[in-house]
Amino acid sequence: MSEYDNISNEIRELAAKLLARGEVDVVIGYKPTALPGRTQPAFAYKPEDAREFVFNPLCVSGLPLYLTKAKPEISAKDRIAIVAKGCDVKNIVALQRENQIRREKIKVIGVVCKGVVGKYGRCDGKTEPKPEDLDEKCRYCDVNTPRDYDYLIGEKIESSPQSKEKEFEEINRIEKLSPRERWKFWEEHFKRCIKCYACSKVCPLCYCNRCIVDKTMPRWIDPSSHARGNLAWNIIRAQHLAGRCTGCGECERSCPMDIPLMLLNKKLERESEELFGYRSGYNPHDPIPLAVFREEDDDEFVR
Amino acid sequence: METKIINKQDLAKLIDGLISAGARTVAPVKVGQMHLFQEVRSPAEAVFDYFLARRSPKEFLFPQTEPIFSYTRQKDSVKIHPVDMAFPRTVVFGLRPCDAAGPGILDALFAWDYEDKFWFNRREQTAFVSMTCAQADHACFCSSVGLSPDAADTGADLHLTLLDDGQRYFVEAPTGKGKKLVSEFPSLFKPATDSDAAARGSAGEKAKGLITRKLDLSNVKQWLGSHFTDELWERLSAKCIGCGACAFECPTCHCFDFQDEATPEGGVRCKNWDSCCIDNFTLHASGHNPRNIQHKRYRQRIMHKFKYYIDKFGKTLCTGCGRCSRQCPVTLDIAEVLENIAAKAASGS
Repeated sequence: MSEYDNISNEIRELAAKLLARGEVDVVIGYKPTALPGRTQPAFAYKPEDAREFVFNPLCVSGLPLYLTKAKPEISAKDRIAIVAKGCDVKNIVALQRENQIRREKIKVIGVVCKGVVGKYGRCDGKTEPKPEDLDEKCRYCDVNTPRDYDYLIGEKIESSPQSKEKEFEEINRIEKLSPRERWKFWEEHFKRCIKCYACSKVCPLCYCNRCIVDKTMPRWIDPSSHARGNLAWNIIRAQHLAGRCTGCGECERSCPMDIPLMLLNKKLERESEELFGYRSGYNPHDPIPLAVFREEDDDEFVR
Repeated sequence: METKIINKQDLAKLIDGLISAGARTVAPVKVGQMHLFQEVRSPAEAVFDYFLARRSPKEFLFPQTEPIFSYTRQKDSVKIHPVDMAFPRTVVFGLRPCDAAGPGILDALFAWDYEDKFWFNRREQTAFVSMTCAQADHACFCSSVGLSPDAADTGADLHLTLLDDGQRYFVEAPTGKGKKLVSEFPSLFKPATDSDAAARGSAGEKAKGLITRKLDLSNVKQWLGSHFTDELWERLSAKCIGCGACAFECPTCHCFDFQDEATPEGGVRCKNWDSCCIDNFTLHASGHNPRNIQHKRYRQRIMHKFKYYIDKFGKTLCTGCGRCSRQCPVTLDIAEVLENIAAKAASGS
């Protein structure tokens, strides 16, 4: 039996046990699909449903989005267990930090993860992806062993993320471009945007009751998918996640038009860290930079 | 059906000729890791050795955003400015039979209670040149909705099949528009022989063999008719995240919304793509939303494609292209949903 068969079995057994004992109402995990190279989110309500659960490097979807008020089918259940990789746990921590979940009502089934397959990577799901097939975020992962969990599945491992220079190589390159070249770079990408809002709908931290794009009195963002509307949407999406995004990469993975959204997210992530020493998803008690006023904060930019 | 042969160089000349003649000439173009239908400035930009474009070509008849009029406010009145309804001649190359089928399915809708001039004026100006599939994956299921990866007559004006010499395309011209295109460039099209026709036949068989997903949809419509409420909906689609990725890539999804983009001085009224899976699609001004939870929205997607549209227009609103399954962020595979429905229908539950 492979390592992933063992992990899958442990998840099935634990999920079935939690459901059988009535400790939770639903377990959120992954199950196979007929489409090769993919898995899909799955919800187990009865112990026998848990038989379908699997875990392997094809389990790319971030499941914490189902904990938010945007997904009441699942999140309205009283007690929930959720299978979570280290990056997913960061989103759970961020949701906890923003008072969107009651952590004590949620049982986190943390899974030690050696990386998932990238959007265009190849992986049979039986062994871990080759380095070139890994998802980009996994190259810089420092949470292979989740930082918070109620149960841990798999042997704990130390993370060995690649260097920050490598991680921010493309961002550094773009920062060095002239404003005109930068504008052209983003114009080329944003012009493909089809306003499907997959980036927002898949994001566990995009849980607003009513997104600004849907507000009409007044209308803040042109709903049409033209240059102005696309630019406004993509900027506001990134800005609203400034200091909040945990870097899970679900928006970029889900974008059917392959817009490199993580460049924006990571740029803001670095700003948040440099300006406020804040990294989202690591500590549920750290003050949120954009929700705190401190006299010593750098206010150069408001002058 | 009129048949011809065109070789690769002459296909390039055809594209060149159309560009020179001032036609908007569209073909699959490589953009990063995907292919998109885009206007090409030279035949070298077109890529025909490809699987399927990420977005269907419906946007050339039904753009994602289309101004239908603009207006300016004056002191006591509003002045309406109509938009130009003369659209450029357009030839779209390289679409697959599943994509070519889209417009023919949608004609009935756009001609229904009101003839949509935006659609039909463009339709008149547009010719489609489809190609037999060279690749398929397990999300493809065109043969289960009455199509085929080599079908010449799903809606294209010309259909090209690359013969096994890898250099020559067998050309079929199922429509008058296709025949006209051939007669416009007579030196590029050569006569097809019986052995070419035989080679086209075997290339077609090879393409048919690529389709691995076979669905039995015979009882699906009937089941849908009596299962508006069923446990299946929540079980299979609670995971739907409510984005528009499926609808916006679909060759047949056609729902749209009107939006005014305005300043105090005036504005533009736009017809924009919309999707039944997005939560505010059915949101009423009162705040009431009859499809108040995600699985009811996804149910509409299935009902519309496999029941309502058939009831109203006699056609299935799906070409089996598989884009929605492939691009769904949470792998909500439409074929899996249909398989589940077919199984329920077969077991009488």
